[in-house]
Amino acid sequence: MKYLVYVFRNIRRNPVRTLLTVASISICLFLMMLLLSYLTINTEVAHSLSDYNRLITMSSQGFTQPVPIANVATVAAMEGIATVGELTPEDKEHRDKKAVSPFSWYGGRYKDDSMPGSQFGIDPETIFAIMVEMKLPPDQLKAFRDDKTGCVIGKKLAKDKNLKIGDPYPLKGTVYEFNLDLTIRGIYDAPENRDNRMCLYHWAYLDEGLKRDFQGRAAGNAGTIYFKCKDAAAMPGLIKKIDDSFRNSSTPTKTQTEEAFAQMFSEMIGDLQTLIVAVGMAVVVSLICVCGVAMAMSMRERTTEVAVLKAIGFGRGLVLALVLVEAVIVSTLGGVVGALGTKLLFDQFDLGSLVPGFLPFFYVPWTTALFGLGLAVLIGFVSGVLPAWLAAQTSVIQGLRKVV
Amino acid sequence: MIPIKYNIRNLRRRWVTTTLTIIGTGLVVASSCILFGMVEGLQQSLRVSGDPNDLMVLRKGSTNETSSYFDLSKVVELATIPGIARDEKGRPLCAGELVNIPVCERANGSRANLIIRGMDPISPALRPNFKIIEGRTIEPGKGECLVAKPISGRFKGTRLGETLKCGERESYRVVGVFTAGGGAAESEVWVDRNDLARNTQRTGFVSDVQLRAASAADRDAIQKTIQTGTQFNLLAMKESDYYADQQITGMVLLVIGSVIAVLLSIGAMFAAANTMFAAVKSRTREIGTLRALGFSRFDVLLCFLGESILLCSLGGLLGWLATLPMSALTFGTNDFNSFAEKTIQFRFGPLVFAVAFAMTMAMGVFGGLFPAIRAIRLDVIKALREV
Amino acid sequence: MGQEPAIALRGVCKEYRREQIKIPVLTDLKLTVDEGEFLALMGPSGSGKTTLLNLLAGLDRPTTGEVVVHGQDLAQMSEGQIARWRSRNVGFIFQLYNLIPVLTAFENVEMPLLLTSLSKRQRRENVRTALRVVGLEGREDHFPRQLSGGQEQRVAIARAIVTDPYLLVADEPTGDLDRQSAEEILELMEQLHREFQKTIVMVTHDPIAARRASRLLKLDKGKLVGDVIQAQEVAS
Repeated sequence: MKYLVYVFRNIRRNPVRTLLTVASISICLFLMMLLLSYLTINTEVAHSLSDYNRLITMSSQGFTQPVPIANVATVAAMEGIATVGELTPEDKEHRDKKAVSPFSWYGGRYKDDSMPGSQFGIDPETIFAIMVEMKLPPDQLKAFRDDKTGCVIGKKLAKDKNLKIGDPYPLKGTVYEFNLDLTIRGIYDAPENRDNRMCLYHWAYLDEGLKRDFQGRAAGNAGTIYFKCKDAAAMPGLIKKIDDSFRNSSTPTKTQTEEAFAQMFSEMIGDLQTLIVAVGMAVVVSLICVCGVAMAMSMRERTTEVAVLKAIGFGRGLVLALVLVEAVIVSTLGGVVGALGTKLLFDQFDLGSLVPGFLPFFYVPWTTALFGLGLAVLIGFVSGVLPAWLAAQTSVIQGLRKVV
Repeated sequence: MIPIKYNIRNLRRRWVTTTLTIIGTGLVVASSCILFGMVEGLQQSLRVSGDPNDLMVLRKGSTNETSSYFDLSKVVELATIPGIARDEKGRPLCAGELVNIPVCERANGSRANLIIRGMDPISPALRPNFKIIEGRTIEPGKGECLVAKPISGRFKGTRLGETLKCGERESYRVVGVFTAGGGAAESEVWVDRNDLARNTQRTGFVSDVQLRAASAADRDAIQKTIQTGTQFNLLAMKESDYYADQQITGMVLLVIGSVIAVLLSIGAMFAAANTMFAAVKSRTREIGTLRALGFSRFDVLLCFLGESILLCSLGGLLGWLATLPMSALTFGTNDFNSFAEKTIQFRFGPLVFAVAFAMTMAMGVFGGLFPAIRAIRLDVIKALREV
Repeated sequence: MGQEPAIALRGVCKEYRREQIKIPVLTDLKLTVDEGEFLALMGPSGSGKTTLLNLLAGLDRPTTGEVVVHGQDLAQMSEGQIARWRSRNVGFIFQLYNLIPVLTAFENVEMPLLLTSLSKRQRRENVRTALRVVGLEGREDHFPRQLSGGQEQRVAIARAIVTDPYLLVADEPTGDLDRQSAEEILELMEQLHREFQKTIVMVTHDPIAARRASRLLKLDKGKLVGDVIQAQEVAS
């Protein structure tokens, strides 16, 4: 510890160099945090879903294939599914109804959206019991249930598009021929790691429209079925029972936990994940070189000084340690700015509003931020090894001769 | 002007820092080049996919094949529109196709949607350079499939002779492997349309029709007929326009690539500046000498700026060339339009070069500028006294 | 103490290799220095003065021969041992002072003490004492660049004596100073020799400086060519 004064003075000796090194590390770590967070969020969110005991049934031929609406009732009749009353005791009206809902992708465009948004046809009587983490005030829930053309949107969507309760929210379909003339009846509030940019509307509104105007083409499709089980233990049995009961129907199903379902989506990015990891590793190696250069240059400028220290009696190990500690401190500074700074930045600033449709939410998970910080420490250590070793090897005689 | 030889000698003299800086900047350039190589590969694949006289017929309101569907009977009617090109046997080049994207397992166990295309017998003629490179074509009604070369082996059961299973009902025996000139079809599995319709309960429907007009004038006339008449009431797009609209994935890659390139360039800029500041510092006396010999401030500025650019160019060149072997690689990622697996052939082309060049220049010029300015602001007399 | 000589060199040879060619610097040197002697080492450039000094200070090893300082045969010690030994037994004074520019006078002097197990308070006391001896009280918080050359050299001397070493080695300590400052520095060294009975070995080019020493050695081409015990001149 008593040597730290010297180490810190050395760090401040060439402020431009230290600043440039720190800036270089923080910029690169900022990028790494962006890329890695995207990957970790997917896993982290998927993992957090396991607490909710929710299952999702989709067509065994992929989620673009329809699931008949009749299946919703079949699922609801099964043992082990929670009721609305059990999940939301304040909801007296639908107390005995099973917590099962269709969840059907609409993919409509609002005004001049370039990307279709996330809109889902659901059962307004059950959905907020299934999605317990999505909070909707009771009066808004009632207004939504009472209006067949009503919808509920997420708070971030409301903020992005400057929408409030009572505003019209017309959507042009891309998957369906039927356009939705929705009115906002509620704005839900979900935790930060949930999609706060969805729009939920009455499934029946779309279906009736398709039946009325398009001879029922594409009607009767529940999309997927979301439901909530009484407890986690019942889930494996339920999955098997559901898929077995539809196996020989015209539309076999694939039921999985919400976690597995979310995982499936994040797996889709495929090689891009490998690529991101590869880029990350290249950046780490690059930073090791960059920091190593900075440290090596510092040490070369201090050759005489190191020789003096060694003459005074500083041993090789001590010289080595002093240089390593210096390298680690500088890169850790970069890590603090780059990794923790990025976390703070995105805690304040919502990146999702910049790229609507791609990122419903974005944050830097603590694990990722700390991983980044750890990487910075590692970069400092590895980059310091060569300069430290060279410094430790400095010949006192050569080093002292340089000045004369 | 101070000869460039002077800079080369200097870079060689401090070879350790030079080498480390080159590796550092090289990796940074390579990282960005990889992404842009993919963007370029994707653009290339979409470019070759659309023949200028080809039309894509979709249901009105849908934006891509996966959300489109209409009656099979319309295919027959469409084929009768005058002006459609014909193959050597006289068959109209008009193919009704059915598309499904089931979740399939990749060879590594992860899952992705795979495009299963129910083909028309004429479909191959509508793809650029469609060629079966292994095996044979499918026989209708026998549950056989053709697999695009980049897909073969990427997913479970997609090698010749294996059986691809998706969902409960679909399973297809692989009888052939095809290439399609690097076009969009190279991310697909082709099966008999009737097999697919039967397996997915969509008998009597198609997702879209692809047709080729005999000429550009015919194409415009056909497009008009399909879109305006009451007979069809479908959406007919030029295939090239259709693919241009499918650029979202390309955009995503472009954005990621740009973010990476810009941020890493800034990071590398700082690193280059660091090296150059040290170079200026350790050569203070030399700079004084050069000035005393009569070289102007401008000469000194050029000298250090040139050295910085030279240093970064070596890194840039290394990074750029390091991505050359990637041309042999195929990447598979999610297409944000269809949510299906899209294979992308890395392309080592002009875009990659442009990125490498731009990054190198940015790093070299901005990294060298401030150190060079410091060099020219040195007081000659003081500099000469510097030890 | 006092029985054995402070420094004993026996048959010391030192040669450097430069691209296959052996360059002898010191040849068959024999030298005994008693405790408390103030030795001045003179000779033309390349005569081996600094090499001899380095050998005595344990910075370098002889090619052959024995270097015994304070009863320790330096050639027998490992690198680590010799570093530790230096920290306790040798104080260094350089021509260009070689202070650490980022540390204050106090911190510079404290540097060798960091290698000891002294507490922070003890260190502070020792540093204060050393600075008082060299006449720099009140300059503790100055950085080297805020001091004159003479003052910098005083700080360097304080750093050299703060551990109370057995031997002080000085390589042209006045080589970079003006006459006035040089005088003061020599005065100080003489005082260390007189009052604290330090054994001092000083390399110098300056005959005036050399006259301050109690014994004058002359080297030429790696050999001792003169060894004079001189009556010390008292500063006028």
